[in-house]
Amino acid sequence: MERIEADMNTALMVDGNAVAGELQRIFGRDMTMAVARCAGCANEAEMGALMAFTRGPGVVLRCPACQAAIARIVETPSAIYLEARGATYLRLAAQS
Amino acid sequence: MQPLIEWQAGTVTEIRPETPQTKSFTLALPKWTAHRPGQHYDVRLTAPDGYQTQRSYSIASAPEQVGELELTVERIPDGEVSPYLHDVLVPGDQLEVRGPIGGYFVWEVGLGGPLLLVAGGSGIVPLMAMLRHRAAQRATLPARLLYSSRVPDGVIYRSELVQLSDRDHALELFFTFTRQAPEGWTGYRRRIDEAMLTEVIRPFEERARVYVCGPTLLVETVANALVRMGLPTELIRTERFGPTGS
Amino acid sequence: MPLRYTIQPVAGFISRGFLGRRRPAEVENRLPPGQYLVTDFPVLSAGPTPHTPLDRWSFTIEGLVQSPVTWSWDEFQKLPTQTVTVDISCVTKWTKLDTKWRGVTFDTLLQAVQVEPTAHYVMAYSDGGYTTNLPLDEMVNGQAFVAYEFDGKPLAPEHGGPARLVVPHLYFWKSAKWIRGLRLMERNAPGFWESLGYHIHGDPWKEERYSGD
Ligand SMILES: Cc1cc2nc3c(=O)[nH]c(=O)nc-3n(C[C@H](O)[C@H](O)[C@H](O)COP(=O)(O)OP(=O)(O)OC[C@H]3O[C@@H](n4cnc5c(N)ncnc54)[C@H](O)[C@@H]3O)c2cc1C
Ligand SMILES: [Zn+2]
Repeated sequence: MERIEADMNTALMVDGNAVAGELQRIFGRDMTMAVARCAGCANEAEMGALMAFTRGPGVVLRCPACQAAIARIVETPSAIYLEARGATYLRLAAQS
Repeated sequence: MQPLIEWQAGTVTEIRPETPQTKSFTLALPKWTAHRPGQHYDVRLTAPDGYQTQRSYSIASAPEQVGELELTVERIPDGEVSPYLHDVLVPGDQLEVRGPIGGYFVWEVGLGGPLLLVAGGSGIVPLMAMLRHRAAQRATLPARLLYSSRVPDGVIYRSELVQLSDRDHALELFFTFTRQAPEGWTGYRRRIDEAMLTEVIRPFEERARVYVCGPTLLVETVANALVRMGLPTELIRTERFGPTGS
Repeated sequence: MPLRYTIQPVAGFISRGFLGRRRPAEVENRLPPGQYLVTDFPVLSAGPTPHTPLDRWSFTIEGLVQSPVTWSWDEFQKLPTQTVTVDISCVTKWTKLDTKWRGVTFDTLLQAVQVEPTAHYVMAYSDGGYTTNLPLDEMVNGQAFVAYEFDGKPLAPEHGGPARLVVPHLYFWKSAKWIRGLRLMERNAPGFWESLGYHIHGDPWKEERYSGD
């Protein structure tokens, strides 16, 4: 992300770490140190380091290298949807 | 196995003004868990008609402050949650929170140093938890804080920061003022830029663990500058607060 | 299929003195069910702001048409425009009244192509990869337009500029920001949010928020 845009859309972006609560609720453990491999460009980044867009109908987590959507989370009154087509894999450290 | 985080109603035990725009809130929690410095809680508000809204707030207190939790919140005039916390909440009220959360933006003494902390505005909050923890552990690893404020009375935790660094020569503070500096100020008076970061990081020879926190646009600028300076990206951690104070 | 979990809400807690958002009585009848009034213009974000230079911007109608057509920015500016004032409702529960747009109606754009009789749905697509689906018969007769001015000024990038789709009678996620084209289709297919729990149609007056509503 070299260029800095001063528009509100850019100012609303946060880090994947800001979505730690939603992720932990779904996975039952902290996911911000889990590594996501981008299915588009093969970049690996901790989920906490992904670009997070949270002010919309759902949460979109994007690859910091190529900006492709890695994962999306939607919470409806009856369910939580998690889609992660944009990730080749998530790698979690084994828990002791 | 980590516990599933659940919403719990904390009780506000104390509200303390820090600056004209910020207040610290102490909460007693039914289920307190020791956090890692840098972690945050989610705060959720519910209206009588069921409308809900939620924001994240970094933990200001050190984990050594057992049983309670301190948050420091900047009042964003047209915001939804922070004006409620500032203008409506009083000691004795309950606040729904869940946490501690986020394993990415954390630093503990065990991770070592040297430590470079870069804050803009309320971005000081999670970095303060790190410094309080560092002091509580009597750690001596070198740490430098570069902290950007608009105006002199916008500096959050000023006296505590000065006290901490007076007692501890391994902790050095660098303030910069972007709108108005204190009278007779000889330090920085501009937005954080590459030259400033280069000066502050120099004794650490680019091997520092760097934590950058504040309004998104500030974090963006600083992170880009650090990458251009050749710092290894795996040593840089960022926490963007969104449009706060921008 | 995406992973799906069931939510268990904590019942009962109310934040003392938190009033949430408002449904003022004067405009109550203009607010779809479950919506609250805003006077500012919240930005909906799902990705970074694209910055396609105008000289590389184009707008295309393709899919089930006899031959696709593409306009450059300059050509698009020469198309006849309309100014409309409409209420918009976002699925995140805000409604904004009397928003003023200038743009080119879908009807005007359709005059440049010959639509195949099999075309019944439209997929709008945008810079940055966003998509959203709409029924063709809900876009004609002035129901949808591609806007490049808001409130008399060029549409700001954060609100979808240089140009966005506006379909005021459906939830605002259907009004794709940064739009670059429309693909006419025979069968309905879900777009970016419709494929993840959101309603395939999205009528705010019927409160079609989530799939299954
Ligand atoms: C991990 C994390 C930790 C944080 N820690 C702290 C902390 O310790 N202290 C602290 O003070 N803050 C912190 N923040 C910021 C905090 O979460 C809130 O964002 C902040 O308090 C503002 O919330 P609000 O509801 O008052 O304002 P909001 O209602 O969110 O509005 C904030 C500003 O942005 C504008 N805005 C908001 N949404 C939109 C939109 N969709 N379109 C256009 N404009 C919009 C508003 O007009 C306003 O000017 C943290 C954020 C994160 C992600
Ligand atoms: Zn990528």
